[in-house]
Amino acid sequence: MSDIGKVRLRLPSSIKAGDVVQVRCLIIHPMERIERDKAGKIIDKKYNYINKVVVTYLGKTISTFDTTQSVSENPYFAFTLKATDPGPVTVTFHDTLGGKYEGTAQITFG
Amino acid sequence: MRDQGEAGAMTRREVLGTLGALSVAAAAGTVSLTAAPAAAQTLGQNESVEAGLARVFGGRPMKDGGSLIKLDVPLIAENGAVVPVAVEVNAPMTPQSYVKSIYVVADRNRIPIVTRVALSPEAGKAFMGANIRLGETGDVRAIVEQSDGTLWQIKREVKVTVGGCGG
Amino acid sequence: MTRPIRWLGLILLTAGCTVAANAPDYSSVPRWSTRAIPPARGDIRTEADGRRVAVRYPGWSTKDYAEFRTYAYGDWRPEPSVSKAAMPSGVVGDAKKGRALFLDRQRGPCTGCHLVPGDDVWPAGSVGPDLSTIGDRKLTDAYLYQQLWDPRAVFPLTVMPPWGVQGVFTPEELVHLVAYLQSLHGPAASEKDADRNPFTRRRPVGFGDNLDPTNNPAVLRAESAEAFWQERGPKGKACTECHPGGVGTAMRGVATRYPRYVPAFNRVMAIEDFLSVHAPDTTGQALAVESAENVTFTMLIKMASNGMPVAVDTSSPQARAALARGRASFVRRVGERNHACSDCHTPDRGANKFLGGRLLGDATAGMTRHFPTWRTSLNDAWDLRRRFQWCMTPLGANMLAADAIEYAELELYLAQFDNGKPMSVPGIRH
Repeated sequence: MSDIGKVRLRLPSSIKAGDVVQVRCLIIHPMERIERDKAGKIIDKKYNYINKVVVTYLGKTISTFDTTQSVSENPYFAFTLKATDPGPVTVTFHDTLGGKYEGTAQITFG
Repeated sequence: MRDQGEAGAMTRREVLGTLGALSVAAAAGTVSLTAAPAAAQTLGQNESVEAGLARVFGGRPMKDGGSLIKLDVPLIAENGAVVPVAVEVNAPMTPQSYVKSIYVVADRNRIPIVTRVALSPEAGKAFMGANIRLGETGDVRAIVEQSDGTLWQIKREVKVTVGGCGG
Repeated sequence: MTRPIRWLGLILLTAGCTVAANAPDYSSVPRWSTRAIPPARGDIRTEADGRRVAVRYPGWSTKDYAEFRTYAYGDWRPEPSVSKAAMPSGVVGDAKKGRALFLDRQRGPCTGCHLVPGDDVWPAGSVGPDLSTIGDRKLTDAYLYQQLWDPRAVFPLTVMPPWGVQGVFTPEELVHLVAYLQSLHGPAASEKDADRNPFTRRRPVGFGDNLDPTNNPAVLRAESAEAFWQERGPKGKACTECHPGGVGTAMRGVATRYPRYVPAFNRVMAIEDFLSVHAPDTTGQALAVESAENVTFTMLIKMASNGMPVAVDTSSPQARAALARGRASFVRRVGERNHACSDCHTPDRGANKFLGGRLLGDATAGMTRHFPTWRTSLNDAWDLRRRFQWCMTPLGANMLAADAIEYAELELYLAQFDNGKPMSVPGIRH
């Protein structure tokens, strides 16, 4: 059972309109590191790692992470957004092999 | 981040359960035809930190961000695989003036430019967090770019623990 | 029998029983054939050229430590005897060689327990005394040599390994080490960095909330086992048919009582051990010990008890017998390093001190209730048996099968210190 691409988002338990809320997300992904041969030369292959994380809220892009192999395996990311209206916040992860993974949470007030 | 409510383990679990209902785990990854944009692929390169900074910032001056930037990083990392980093900038986030980008740099990494976060005023605060890899003991930097192009920098040495019977 | 002899027999029997109740009884422990995956069985393979090679997990050493004591209940070999030795003549001690040996990760390294000067000394430990100015003490070469050869001849209760006796260093290398130690004079250079010195070093901050699925990947991994609970096995049955509801409902509280003596199998079992026999009996699934499925499923079952106090049985006759054997294992010296768990993990020895860069945990404070734990350095989940098996590597001892009764009873001994404390699985650690 491959967990690759499993995403989890986390919002604060209580949000009021206008709050700047901090959101955490985690994705299961190998974030493959560069391999070297015995001579220390970089092995030329297509490494599979997340290179872009896009945060959208109410359909608009709020922030974008450009990420590299220096980011950990199974990475977490945290960001903020100003909660103006109830609605979905979606995080989309893109990896170098064309993989696209998504997680969504609903911002509700009260 | 703080949850409202008690800090007891059971209560936190219940709260997480509630949050779990809100946050939907994605299905296992689907391979789509979306190619990653070329700009993203060139951010991280095998280079010295000097070369990386020159490439990305073209020699532009950087101000000392000590009073502006809060760089949260363990001063002793238990291993180089997972080092939590958080950056918070005490600067406006209005359409007229906002923090455009936050960079995290690890001087001794083979790929020293670790990540760049591009922000919009709707983020509400200039903040980011991520787990990064550190190849060895060395400086971790946060470099912040404002919408008018001003650059600020702060750095801290992170020691990476090696060896031990823990594996 | 005449009356006086019968009375005498009764008295002797009683006296004998009293003595036996204090000493562990190994006669009632059954043989157990392992249900672990091949890398976890503790097997030793003989190659075509006659070399013996240990079968362990991928990336682990394959060295066979046959000549050193193990935890096996049948292994009655004594500890190596305390040995006195004189310095060999004709060897001129070279302090530079000695320093290299002191720092060599393939040996001690001595810096694992002892601080010495140098910016390249990172990270040294605080289990043993700071040796930065030991040359000032004007101890004789012969005294230092004996201390390295077999410190037990000098300090009978020491946890320091008998390096010379066990052959980790040759006599010539020990002479170089003595020369190095004798070269360390004060005044000690002022410390530029408080973290270099383990006596002033900051404690590790850990990896945050272990139960937060956006912090601990193990939580997401465990949740994937929920589907397994509902799945029909080869015998056409699913767990949920005998244990209705989801894992969280059906298994609530169950893990608080493990490890425990299971009469059906006449042995102490943790959840991992029980799954490996219960699943094949019922649903037909294998769930071999140390398989990813077994570890993940164990996590999910234990999560159903999170927040509830650990409550392992310590009072039944079987539990008390197992605890006596488990305690004997805890203080038993094994391996090339001649170490016992208690050497590192009790407060009057190594606990809460640095071993190299790692803070040693105190077993008496309870260390089992967060297992299985996520290992950030490996991006994998480890149960406690794998942790036991890994300890064998630096100790220089062959490991037993992950589901060995010896390990289960050691786990029971450790788990009693968690009694009353809330379960919190999975953990997250280096």
